[in-house]
Amino acid sequence: MAKAQSKAVKNYLKPSVMLSAVLLAATASGAPPPKTLHDSGDPTLALTPGLRGAEKAPPGTPPGNPDPHDLNGVWWLSGYQYLLGPEPGVAPPLKPEYMAILERRIRAKNRGTPEADASTQCLPHGMPRIMESPYPIEIVQTPERITLLHEVAHNLRRIWLNRDHPKHLTPTFLGDSVGHWEGDTLVVDTIGLNDRTFIDDEGSSHSTQEHVIEHIRKIDNGQNLELIMTVEDPVTLEHPYSYRRIYHWRPDVRPQEYVCEENNRNAPVNGVTVAK
Amino acid sequence: MKALRGVISAAALAGLTATALAAPPDFSGVWFLASHQGALKTSEGQAPPLNAAAQSVYDAHRAAAAKGDFSFDGATRCLPPGLPRLMLMKEPFEILQKPKTLYFVYQINRLPRRVYLNEALPTDVDPHYLGYSVGKWDGDALVVDSAGFDDSTLLDNSGLPHSEALHLTERYELSHNGKHLHLRFTIDDPKTYTHSWSAEADYVKRPGYEIPEDVCAATPEAKRPRS
Repeated sequence: MAKAQSKAVKNYLKPSVMLSAVLLAATASGAPPPKTLHDSGDPTLALTPGLRGAEKAPPGTPPGNPDPHDLNGVWWLSGYQYLLGPEPGVAPPLKPEYMAILERRIRAKNRGTPEADASTQCLPHGMPRIMESPYPIEIVQTPERITLLHEVAHNLRRIWLNRDHPKHLTPTFLGDSVGHWEGDTLVVDTIGLNDRTFIDDEGSSHSTQEHVIEHIRKIDNGQNLELIMTVEDPVTLEHPYSYRRIYHWRPDVRPQEYVCEENNRNAPVNGVTVAK
Repeated sequence: MKALRGVISAAALAGLTATALAAPPDFSGVWFLASHQGALKTSEGQAPPLNAAAQSVYDAHRAAAAKGDFSFDGATRCLPPGLPRLMLMKEPFEILQKPKTLYFVYQINRLPRRVYLNEALPTDVDPHYLGYSVGKWDGDALVVDSAGFDDSTLLDNSGLPHSEALHLTERYELSHNGKHLHLRFTIDDPKTYTHSWSAEADYVKRPGYEIPEDVCAATPEAKRPRS
């Protein structure tokens, strides 16, 4: 659990960097992201544009529960980014050899022959990517646990509030998650991830040493959930980085049965691959 | 005498109020099937009353399975095994209990099933592998009504068929201080069975057990659940 207090998170939450957090939020909702990796203008490195994502709940929907420690309910990501770096359209701080792999994957995608990732084979999406889905997430909170039921491909996360990480972990697709409350913020620490998934939809790599820290809190009187995601990986990343996401309160939505194994909804439509 | 009657009435009223306001029993936890049964039998120990057409379908399933051909069973291709079959697997499930919804989360391929409490079953439900389930408390029992089933799933591991007309009723009751769970379910499917029939299953709670991440697509076909 001590690892949760990583330097990157502390820095991110410091008042001195709050301005950059505000700027980041502005970027997320406003200016269009760069169209190519590294702003290179190289069409073979074209990035898939983000999606607008979920709308807010329609008028007349019951308001969110303002209790900061009650996360129960259906939440839906606002916006969707294919590249999960520190800002939209910016790559994670990958080491050169892994940046080269990302470039290779983006070029393969742009040639129409993408490298198959886990989700296209109905495997769980991995971390942090599963939190970046254009489908709703239902949070079920019980005394010792917070359970995330993701509509997309019935991904399931269990966040344990009553224990630390086991000493010996067999790597899994979504890892081992433990959480605790720091004031009104739920801090979730995840390790034990296998390396069969990508950080993001464009194909940024992580290793089995990936360590993901989430700071989750209600904002706007319970109408929205804020997630600050911090990703550390001493193998593939130059340094840890963080980004911010917002999920809308959607009590009007009931998650549907999503059977990837029967009919993968992420197949290309009119030549465009929709979100996985 | 009058005073005594008053006392009795108050006591009776207090008892009623306590019943009405009592929290429902706690079904939460990880549950394992107490004993794994092969082909499903009715509560009376009989073979389910398949009609003639469904009997030939079932016989064909058994004949194929005997030859090692499980192509009739979508679960071998990682499709959801359906209900009540998911309740009859050796792999455990977990119940998460909330005031308006009970969540059954099965180890098998991490499948979730939601039981919405105190709602009516929609009259026209699109078919889903796990159907659509509503429930209510009947005293200390949980009664679940389900319909809207895709007809490609099987009722049990032996390959018993059903149609889209399947209506499943389940009645769950705790015993042994909440450590045992008994299920009696009724199959009502006039297109497949000559009359409705019931069967039973028992579960044992395993406190502290953590269900592992089970990913069918990462599991070799020979190790997947099969008929």
